[in-house]
Amino acid sequence: MADCQETLNELESYLDSELSEGRANEIITHLKGCTDCQGAYEFHADLRTAIKTKAKNEELPDGFLDRLRDCLGDDVLGAE
Amino acid sequence: MGAREDFTNDAMQYAPQLFATALRMTRNRSDAEDLVQETFLKGWRAFDSYQQGTNLRAWLFRIMTNTFINKYNSQQRRPQETELDEVEELFLFRRMGAFDQSKMSQSAEDQMLELFTDEEVKNAIESLPETFRIPVLLSDVEGFSYKEIAEMLEVPIGTVMSRLHRGRKAMQKMLYEYAKERGLVDESLLDPQD
Ligand SMILES: [Zn+2]
Repeated sequence: MADCQETLNELESYLDSELSEGRANEIITHLKGCTDCQGAYEFHADLRTAIKTKAKNEELPDGFLDRLRDCLGDDVLGAE
Repeated sequence: MGAREDFTNDAMQYAPQLFATALRMTRNRSDAEDLVQETFLKGWRAFDSYQQGTNLRAWLFRIMTNTFINKYNSQQRRPQETELDEVEELFLFRRMGAFDQSKMSQSAEDQMLELFTDEEVKNAIESLPETFRIPVLLSDVEGFSYKEIAEMLEVPIGTVMSRLHRGRKAMQKMLYEYAKERGLVDESLLDPQD
């Protein structure tokens, strides 16, 4: 079984899906029975989602994909 | 038609995410475009060494990370762990009580999306020293595993974990400072013992 301290210490690895299945299940069991740790878990899960969503939100420069294809095309010609 | 044409078609779908990460790495749109182009050229030329069936996306990110580290003479492989201040555990979570609830929406998930703007999240990532910024990008934004990141950076998994841990805390502190500047935080609401 995982206690509060262990759960909080391993929260990051749990959110990264890097714990063994057995250990992850112990953390899940603890989270189900502990509202404090559950709150910390939800907070960090939401924070992850927000960071991922916002950091990915990026517009490509105009013509970016065309230039990328072109530079590969030039390389083929150059190699011949 | 050949493997190389397949490469172009398959790899192209990852170009937007490679660009977004390149931009966070280089912090400059024109350097980011150059970095993605160089990554594609290297991938194209090294395609013979690419094992069919392995993860093309991870392979491209690995090439890009290596290119960035070599080109910008990055400190990634020489540890400089001291350049980031130690931040207490659960930094942001422990300060959530200081956020002015009247300025936030009801749903917890929406709240988090509203608390920080896109620019603030991008700035918080970009403010991290490179040693920490790259693992955070590869994990938090691109979702690679510790093992994949360790291979890309050619460092032990334990090093990836500690850089992620410290980098994420530093990022939380930065986000908190941004929220404070925007007037979302009332520190008098915090428990003195915190
Ligand atoms: Zn608990």
